[in-house]
Amino acid sequence: MTTTVLTALFYVLAACSVLLALAVVTTRRILRAAVYLMGVLLMSAGFFLLLGAEFLAGVQILVYVGGIVVLLVFAVMLTRSVELLEDEPSIGRKLLGYVVAAGFLIMNVALLATTEFRVLREGTLPAGNTAALGRKLLDYGPQGYALPFEVLSILLLTAMIGGIVIARKTGPVATGKLEQPGQGGSDRFGAQTTTIQGS
Amino acid sequence: MMFQNLGFMLNHTWLIPAIPFFSFLLVGLFIRPRSPKLAGIVATVAVFAAACCAYVLAWEYFHLFPAGTERHALVPWNFEWLRYQEHLAVRAGVLVDPISVLLMVVVTTVSALVHLYSIGYMHGDQGYGRYFTWLNLFTFSMLGLVVAPNILQMYVCWELVGASSFLLIGFYYEKPSAVAASKKAFIVTRFADLGFLLGVIILGYYGYHFFGELSPALAQQMGQYTAGGVVDPFDFAYLTHPEVLSKFVGLGTGFLGVSLLTMAMVLVYMGAAGKSAMFPLHIWLPDAMEGPTPVSALIHAATMVVAGVYLVARTFLVFATSGDALMVVAYIGAFTSLFAAVIGCTQDDIKRVLAFSTLSQLGYMMFALGVATMDHPLGYTASMFHLFTHAFFKALLFLGAGALIHAVHSNEIWDMGGLARKMPITHATVLIATLAIAGIWPLAGFFSKDEILVSALENQHYGIFGLGLLVAGITAFYMFRIYFVSFWGKARSKHAEHAHEAPLVMLIPLMILAVLSVVAGWVPMGEFVSLGGASHGAAEGAHHGINWAVAGPSLFVAAIGISVAWFLYGSGHEERSKSVASSLGGVYTTIKRKFYFDELYLFITHKVVFRFVAAPIAWFDRHVVDGGVNLSGWITRTSSTALSRLQTGQVQTYGAWFVGGSIGALLVLWHLMF
Amino acid sequence: MSFSEIFVQAPSAVHWLILSSLLFSIGIYGILTRRNAVGILMSTELLLNSASLNFVVFNKFVAPSSVDGQVMSLFVIAVAAAEVVVGMAIFVALFKCRKTVDVTQMNLMRN
Repeated sequence: MTTTVLTALFYVLAACSVLLALAVVTTRRILRAAVYLMGVLLMSAGFFLLLGAEFLAGVQILVYVGGIVVLLVFAVMLTRSVELLEDEPSIGRKLLGYVVAAGFLIMNVALLATTEFRVLREGTLPAGNTAALGRKLLDYGPQGYALPFEVLSILLLTAMIGGIVIARKTGPVATGKLEQPGQGGSDRFGAQTTTIQGS
Repeated sequence: MMFQNLGFMLNHTWLIPAIPFFSFLLVGLFIRPRSPKLAGIVATVAVFAAACCAYVLAWEYFHLFPAGTERHALVPWNFEWLRYQEHLAVRAGVLVDPISVLLMVVVTTVSALVHLYSIGYMHGDQGYGRYFTWLNLFTFSMLGLVVAPNILQMYVCWELVGASSFLLIGFYYEKPSAVAASKKAFIVTRFADLGFLLGVIILGYYGYHFFGELSPALAQQMGQYTAGGVVDPFDFAYLTHPEVLSKFVGLGTGFLGVSLLTMAMVLVYMGAAGKSAMFPLHIWLPDAMEGPTPVSALIHAATMVVAGVYLVARTFLVFATSGDALMVVAYIGAFTSLFAAVIGCTQDDIKRVLAFSTLSQLGYMMFALGVATMDHPLGYTASMFHLFTHAFFKALLFLGAGALIHAVHSNEIWDMGGLARKMPITHATVLIATLAIAGIWPLAGFFSKDEILVSALENQHYGIFGLGLLVAGITAFYMFRIYFVSFWGKARSKHAEHAHEAPLVMLIPLMILAVLSVVAGWVPMGEFVSLGGASHGAAEGAHHGINWAVAGPSLFVAAIGISVAWFLYGSGHEERSKSVASSLGGVYTTIKRKFYFDELYLFITHKVVFRFVAAPIAWFDRHVVDGGVNLSGWITRTSSTALSRLQTGQVQTYGAWFVGGSIGALLVLWHLMF
Repeated sequence: MSFSEIFVQAPSAVHWLILSSLLFSIGIYGILTRRNAVGILMSTELLLNSASLNFVVFNKFVAPSSVDGQVMSLFVIAVAAAEVVVGMAIFVALFKCRKTVDVTQMNLMRN
């Protein structure tokens, strides 16, 4: 009984997920795309629950939905993409996208159909695997992930610093000159303009 | 063998070439751009310092080995220069033996005096600083050549003197004739050096192979000589070792029935003949007079051109072992001495006459070496002796001619005349030099020439002896011809009328060289320079008894030469010379045009080489080689234009290519695995 | 195999993987066609999400005795966060400079 419910749940979630993903890549309003993306990610959290990874589902909602999507919405706002209706991609580009994406999909499905997945390590997932996950992350033995965990924290720090540095590097003053030559912004361009006008 | 108690200069012989070298760098890089005047002074002081070092070295060396003892060749300083294999290396360094000491003294002395003279002669010239830079470079290269302990270092310095000679001949590079002359000198000597290089390669190749076959004891001794069991097949001490030489003889005949040793030595001699302007390769030297006159004095009279003689002397034992090669040296030398002397009688350019006289005297030195043998090596001493004296009086003649040209502004002797009273010091010094080259007792030329003739007679080369005697007479004739025409009689041009004496800085070298031209002959050369140490030299030295049976006739022919010159040119009846010339007719013209050798070379190069060799090669180069290069360029350009269309700048297109490529790669992998 | 049979079946590894490659293909399509750079970033999130899903699927169906796949999935989420931070910073800087984030107009490297 429960199996049937879970199976049905899988198919419903999968259908929703695929539809929402299609909406993400096709909608012309970028803010809506962000909302659809949020839906896809929520569906994924459901998948994680179905797969028995409760902690991961929580993290998915916390980090992805709560953090990354918000960040993306910020990006949308800061680049003033909200006001604009994004132009349709050109037909050629679309066709290229279809061909490549379909090619990839066919390729993958063909591969999966011909491959048999064997269970490598017998056993069942620990019922509450959050504790197991925590132990894995902090285990510095040969099976543990303490070092990658620490490296990851450095990566996040680097990304944060890098983000700040990149975002504030180019000021509008420096670029303004380049975009408006001929208005006497700099001596070099000014001199050039006068000679042109003089002749 | 080691000598512990070497003097300071013997230990530091490397200073002698090093001083001009560092002066060259200093003057050329730092002083010349700032102050040409200072450049001249620094260059001159440096060469004078080198000269003083050379004197101290000579004193120390001949005290270490006093007369009557065997004089060893010392290598007080060397370093590994090139290493080919574990046991094959070339060590550069300095070699001190009697002839290198002699040459060092001559080169530094003449060079120092020429530097001093040039301060006056080149005064106000635009390339003043450049001139002294090249002069320093030349002095360094020549000293490097002289001290070379192996034939490879000698070859390198040989090319360096060639390069500096090229630079100095073409010093007035605005003049097309000077440019042409410098190119001619460079190409002719370069062509000759090709032979030299081939000879060096043959000697080195077999020298290395013999090392393994030598008896172990000797190999060890040789190894010690050439530092730590390492073969230096180019080392002179190795090449001239009797056992190595006997191995060479054992090689037997090689190509066309000529033994390999003879072939190698004739090739080496080809290089020597190029540098010393022996007969078929003589054409560059008269044209080289386009350079400044002090350069002609230093390079094309006293030092560089004797490098060929020096090379033959240095490898004399190898030449003597071959025998045939030595005969080539003797006959080419003798022929050149006559040939050049005859042309010298007809030339009107004072420097060209001196150039032909240089050729003639170089021929003298060469045949003196050629007639020497291992048992009667007097010719070896005589050749070095003549090199020594000739350097002084020929440099003096050139510098004197330079003073005349400076005063008259012309090279033509017929623009001069009556200069004896206006330029008394120049006149006196040039007269001394002229008498010296004519071989009049008691001046330098007499003794060395006498010794050469004695050596020819002693070794039963009667033909060469007679020829030498004849050349002595002709030499006296043409030298006094230019002397009478330029100093006696009355002025033949405006400049000659208003000529005045040269400045003191030019006269001092003249006077010093005049003194040297007088006393150089009294140096008992046999006690200093002789083959195989003291065994022969002291006994056969010419000064212990001048052979009057030879000296008498040679003085006699010189007197005849001078009288004929006086009769034709000095007595004020110039129509006599013209009538002689016209009565000789075609013969005179042929001689005056230098036997049409320049024309012959031009015919060969232009008509034969250019048309049948160079033109097809040029066509091939222009159409096939260049065409190939252009084709590859065209292909690259076209294909890159086509490919650049792919570079749309659209990152999404690139992404599509990337994903498509991954799919393709995956397909290939799949195909390979199943 | 009838239509109902497929749907009654409990989802096996292949089902999950086909779902994940569907999502991945849609992400690729988005990356290749989106004009707005932020849209491309979102499509990238789709890719990362499907990869992360793959890890968990393999964990459950291939090596269910431990949680290594879930750890990897966690790492993927963290890396995605870092990527979005940097990507957003770049787009903001780009927008300040060029007043647009339309990738089709960024063709300075053309030819």
